[in-house]
Amino acid sequence: MKCSRCLLQLQCVSLVGHSARSAARCGALLQTASSSQPSVLHNAQHQVLRLFHTSPACAKSEHIPAEFDHENNKKRDKSLITHDDLFERVAQEAKTKATFNKVVDVFTKRDIRRRGHVEFIYAALKKMPEFGVERDLAVYNKLLDVFPKEVFVPRNFIQRMFNHYPRQQECGVQLLEQMENYGIMPNVTTKVLLVQIFGEKSHPMRKYQRIMYWFPKFKHINPFPVPQQLPEDPVDLARFSLNRIANDLDAKVTIYQLPCTDVTESGQEIKLPHIVGIQSPDQMELLAKHNPSRPVFVEGPFPLWLRRTCVYYYVLRADPTPPEEKVEEPYDPERCLDYPLQLDLDLDRDLGDDESFDVEDLDEGPVFAMCMTSQGDQATLNQWISGLQQNNPVLGQVPTVFRLDTGPRELQGPADVESGHTRRPEPETQTQEGPPEEESEEEELRRSQRMK
Amino acid sequence: MSLPKITRLPSLRLLSSIHQQQLLLPSITPLTVPRRAVIQGEYRRPGQPKEDKFPWQKIKFDLTKGLEGIKKHFTLLKSEFSDRWVGPEGKPIVEHMLEQNRVVWEFRGPESLEQWTVSSDREIGGQSEVYLKLGKNNNTCFLYGTLSSTPPRDGETRYSGYCTMRSKQALASFDRKMHYDWSSFNTLHLRVRGDGRPWMINIAAETYFSHQKDDMYGYFLYTRGGPYWQDVKIPFSKFFLSHRGRIQDDQHPLWLDKINTIGFTLGDKADGAFQLEIDFIGVCKDYAHTEEFAYEVYKRNPEV
Repeated sequence: MKCSRCLLQLQCVSLVGHSARSAARCGALLQTASSSQPSVLHNAQHQVLRLFHTSPACAKSEHIPAEFDHENNKKRDKSLITHDDLFERVAQEAKTKATFNKVVDVFTKRDIRRRGHVEFIYAALKKMPEFGVERDLAVYNKLLDVFPKEVFVPRNFIQRMFNHYPRQQECGVQLLEQMENYGIMPNVTTKVLLVQIFGEKSHPMRKYQRIMYWFPKFKHINPFPVPQQLPEDPVDLARFSLNRIANDLDAKVTIYQLPCTDVTESGQEIKLPHIVGIQSPDQMELLAKHNPSRPVFVEGPFPLWLRRTCVYYYVLRADPTPPEEKVEEPYDPERCLDYPLQLDLDLDRDLGDDESFDVEDLDEGPVFAMCMTSQGDQATLNQWISGLQQNNPVLGQVPTVFRLDTGPRELQGPADVESGHTRRPEPETQTQEGPPEEESEEEELRRSQRMK
Repeated sequence: MSLPKITRLPSLRLLSSIHQQQLLLPSITPLTVPRRAVIQGEYRRPGQPKEDKFPWQKIKFDLTKGLEGIKKHFTLLKSEFSDRWVGPEGKPIVEHMLEQNRVVWEFRGPESLEQWTVSSDREIGGQSEVYLKLGKNNNTCFLYGTLSSTPPRDGETRYSGYCTMRSKQALASFDRKMHYDWSSFNTLHLRVRGDGRPWMINIAAETYFSHQKDDMYGYFLYTRGGPYWQDVKIPFSKFFLSHRGRIQDDQHPLWLDKINTIGFTLGDKADGAFQLEIDFIGVCKDYAHTEEFAYEVYKRNPEV
């Protein structure tokens, strides 16, 4: 009898210390024991409960059920709230900044000692993206305000030397790290709070100093900046991304078709996709010089990432001109009189002044135009080509070949490209269609873009 | 203790209290802070058993391997000796002294891909994928795959989502380490074509102490996207020191005389497909650039 009690007690200890799964197993064991040795169980149960009551794991929630009274039982349902639970309860109503702040307020006002604040902050950090406040500096400062002030500041050199209140400091560092990951720069309020909470030379303060050192250094180093808020309208988005990839200030964006819904005579609703294209004068010149007997290709879709958004574009290009057809055109010396385009000076350079970089450019063939559309099938792209034809009459004589990849999300090897395209001399007789899944993917993409 | 009382004892309620315990637990231990050890070993996934082998047990002794090795190493040794007669690094002395730029890695055929390794967060249990192949006309290298920033469910790893391509350590004969000496250059020159995502370039130099073996110098590579190639020049003075992914407080300029590897890392937390095409990687001397180091070295960054 005594022996079995010891065993049960041991199990209970492990129950408290270990994961909940073992606890459940233990409970099952208890249940089986209850059928065989009821009297033992009764004693043991008190043991279990006492241990539950004093376990360090549950120290922060005082309302662990201790008795099996009915009254207590009723109370427990109301009072036992974990921090995750607090957020989830609020989340049932609405997930906004206001409700998030309300939860933090509820926590700070509940207990003057702010018992369990580390756990609360960890739970709050985890819930922040759900509430959409992960990029809000005020919310981070409010969370930092949950820490009790001047308790964790080291007071003598021994405390300063050793890691004073490590769990709290780790929590503070974790909060700052989450700010860092979302690219939020702390402000003076954060610094004042950190000094009040942890002192001048604590780990969170160091973390703050590091962020304040490195963030401004790397703030504007992106040479191709993308705004934090991308334009909502797909046409505006297309215009922005086409200007970005064209890398030419002279390039002109043309909107060939605006998105609209049409109702046909039979009552069907047809969604017309937007077609936005870009072409620079240089590209037009190149296209005008293109040998009409060689085909031009419509290729795509190619991905372009703007922060978290992926858009797809199509290009009109040709194969590289074979070397026998290449014509070296001399610069016209009178094209620009102010700045001569060609300088043939013999400056008697020294041996060490030769700075030529002898890697020849890859000749991949000229790019004539680029476009973006929400629906990458052949009919839509044909519309783009016919729109281009107004400014580039050569396109009427040049055969156009469509080399469209199967799906925008799918990557494929060069072998697939070889087998995937069909060469037809006339653009009108082309048969290769984008498979339906591509359209659905595009649709999905468009929808996700709209949502963003 | 009467029997009816015992039977009345609700074992269900006991279980329900345990169930509540289960609900409580995750909020109690939300995070584990990575343990710091004095001796840093290789990365071992949480939950993976320790390999119980002596270092010599991992070496493969094989006759064919030996024969191939003899052939390979002696050709390397021979070229090492004969190159010395031509000049430093196998180039005539005039060329070596007047060299303004050098292409270090270029991609001309499948054998050039063997100088590179790719890895992703698969190694730590993530779901990203990365592949390397030659580009359309076999003149470029095409790095592609999908990035997924779902962290592995091992309870310890908090962040995930990276894809990397790194050059292999150059080896001389008999597997001695060979370093690149770029001390006469000051700028890294690349020609790339990306898809608009930001990458990171990591350069690892030879270090003296073993605890520095994970030191890397990194800088950002922003791609424009689109069908055009992009020439990127990054001065070596801009590279900052980081150790195991953390920027260090005391920064030092990169010493260019013993460069081991160069790597490209993507980890911008945007889930989805990515691609990067590299034409060549070279170094050049930019006379207009006189900066020695872009970051303060005269005091610790968070002041002590």
